[in-house]
Amino acid sequence: MLEIARYQAERRLKGTLALAVGISALALMFIAFFPSFADVDMDAYVEAFPPAFQEAFGIDTIGTIEGFLAVELYQFVWLLLLGLYVAYLAAGSIAEDVERDRMDLVLSLPVSRARVVTETFAALVVPIVLLNLVVPVAVYAGVLAIGETVALADLVMVHLLSIPYLLACAAIGLLLSTLLVRADLARRLAIGLVFALFLVDSVSSSADYTWLAAVSPTAHYDPTAILVHGTYDFTGAAVLLLATLALVLASRVQFRRSDIGV
Amino acid sequence: MAAIEVSALTKAYGEVLGIDSLSFTVEEGEVFGFLGPNGAGKTTAIRTLLGLLAPTSGSATVLGADVRDETALIEAKRRIGYLPADLSFDENATGERVLEYFASIRGDSRREELLEIFTPPLERRIREYSTGNAQMLGLVQAFMHDPDLVIMDEPTSGLDPLKQERFNEFVRAERERGTTIFFSSHVLSEVRRVCDRVAILREGELVALEDVETLLSRGGKSVRVQFGSPVDPEVFTLEGANDVRTLGSGLQFTYTGEYDALLSHLATYEVLDVEIGEPPLEDVFMHYYGDADGSAERGDADGSAERGDADGSAERGDADSSAGTRAAVETEAGDA
Repeated sequence: MLEIARYQAERRLKGTLALAVGISALALMFIAFFPSFADVDMDAYVEAFPPAFQEAFGIDTIGTIEGFLAVELYQFVWLLLLGLYVAYLAAGSIAEDVERDRMDLVLSLPVSRARVVTETFAALVVPIVLLNLVVPVAVYAGVLAIGETVALADLVMVHLLSIPYLLACAAIGLLLSTLLVRADLARRLAIGLVFALFLVDSVSSSADYTWLAAVSPTAHYDPTAILVHGTYDFTGAAVLLLATLALVLASRVQFRRSDIGV
Repeated sequence: MAAIEVSALTKAYGEVLGIDSLSFTVEEGEVFGFLGPNGAGKTTAIRTLLGLLAPTSGSATVLGADVRDETALIEAKRRIGYLPADLSFDENATGERVLEYFASIRGDSRREELLEIFTPPLERRIREYSTGNAQMLGLVQAFMHDPDLVIMDEPTSGLDPLKQERFNEFVRAERERGTTIFFSSHVLSEVRRVCDRVAILREGELVALEDVETLLSRGGKSVRVQFGSPVDPEVFTLEGANDVRTLGSGLQFTYTGEYDALLSHLATYEVLDVEIGEPPLEDVFMHYYGDADGSAERGDADGSAERGDADGSAERGDADSSAGTRAAVETEAGDA
C-alpha cells in the first residue's frame, strides 16, 4: 500500500521545500517590518479600510504582533494564497495524469481507481504538513528575533487547525480533477471556486447571510481568533475534516465511473 | 481458458461508435495481431479490454476476468502487461525511478534480463528520452513482471529497424515461453513475421479473423507472366485476376482463383516465364480494406476507391471475396 502516494509525494518534495523556504522568507520579511509599524497611527490605518475589509482580514487588531501575524501572514498568505495553491495542485493531479496519457499505465497496474484517487490525495497531505512544520519555526524565531513574544500554543494551533482547512481546499481541487478531463480548466476552476468561497464568507459575515458563509472552508478556520483571542474552533476543524472526507469519497466515485481520457 | 474473449463488444462515444460489436477470442500462448489503420478502433478496443473504458454493450474477459468487474480485473492485471500507443511517463522522473515505481506495485523478476535486450538510458530523465528510448522503457515495464498476457498498442512505432527486428525476435522467444501476446499494428509486414493469427479492423468493425497462412492464401497469389508478344492488360480477362498491370513485356496480377483455370488461360498465350508467389501483405490488406484510408497504407491509389466499395459490401463473407475481386476487375476494365 501507499506506493502511489509515496511516488507522487516524492515528486512534489522539491517544490514543497522551495515553497516552505519561500514562505518562511516572506514571513520573516513581514515580521522584520513590524517594529516600524509602531510609529504608524494604527487607528487611522485601520479606519482607512472599508468595514468589509476590516472584517475579512481582522484588520482591527493589526497593532499587536498577534494581530499583525494574523492579518499579514495567516489571513492573507495562509488562508487565501495557500488555500488557492493546494486547490490548484490537487486540481492538476488526476486530470493531468489523464490528459498526458500517464494514467493508462498507472491503471494497468493492479490498483483500483479508488486507491489511485485516495493515494493521490494522500500525496497532497505531504506538502500541507511539511509547510506547517517548517514555517512556524521560522515565524517563532522571527518573532523572538525582533524582541516580541507570541503564545507558542496559539502559534502551534494556528498551524494545526489550518491543516483541515487546507485539506478541504485540496479536496475541492481533487473533485474537480476527477470531473474534468482538461487539467488547465480544472486548475482554473479550483482557484476560482476557492476564491469565490472566500469572498462569500468575507461578504456574508458582514451581512445576514451567515448560513451561506458556512459553505465556505474559510468560515471554519479563523487565524485571527486563534492568535489574537486564543480561541480554537474545533467544531470548525471537524466540519472541515468531514467535508474533506465527503469530497474525497465523491472523487473516488466519480473517477470509478468515468472513462479514462474521454 | 482463452486469454482474451471478446463478445459483441461495443463502445460508443455519444453517437459515434468507436468499436461496433467486436467478437473474437485469443487463445493462450498465441501471438495475435490486431490490424487496421489509425482510427479503425484498435486503441478503443484495447483500452476497453484494460477497463479504462466501460463497454457500451457486449462483454469481454482478459485472463478470465470480466473487464467490467474491477476487483477481478485488478487480480488479472498482476499477470498482464500493457504498452499503450500514447506512451507517456513522468517527464521529470528517471527511467530507473519509473521502473522502481511500477516494480513496487507489480514486481520485476525479469527486469535485468529485459534490460539486456532493450536498453533505455535509465539514469536519464524521461524528458531527455527519444521516442525509441521511451518505447523501450515501455516494453521493459510491460514484460518485467513476467506476465502471462501482454497487450501492446503499436509496439514498434518509434523503434528503428534494428530494434524492430530485435523486438520481433523477442516476441518469438516470448511465444516459446508461453506468453500470450496481443498487439495492434498498422504495419502488415510486421504482423506477418510474428503473428499466429490476425484480426482486421475497419471503422470499428471486425472484417476478418484468420490465421496468417489463410490470410495470405485468401489474398491469393502474386502472378508475374512474361509473354512472347505484348498483351494488353485490359483484354486479359480472367476470373479471379485482380489488379492487372503491365510489367515490362508481361503482366502482373493478384490471383485468387483455381490454378487450373489460370494455367489453361495462360496456355492460350505464348508464355516465356511464369512466376507465382506470395503477395505482399499490403495487397492482402487491400483485399479487405481497399478504400481511401487503406490506400494511404500503400500509397498507390489506382482504382482503390472503387475497389473499396466492392470490398466494403463484401466484407466478412468468404464467398463474397471473389465477388469483390471480380467487381474490382470489372471496375478497372470499365475505367478504360
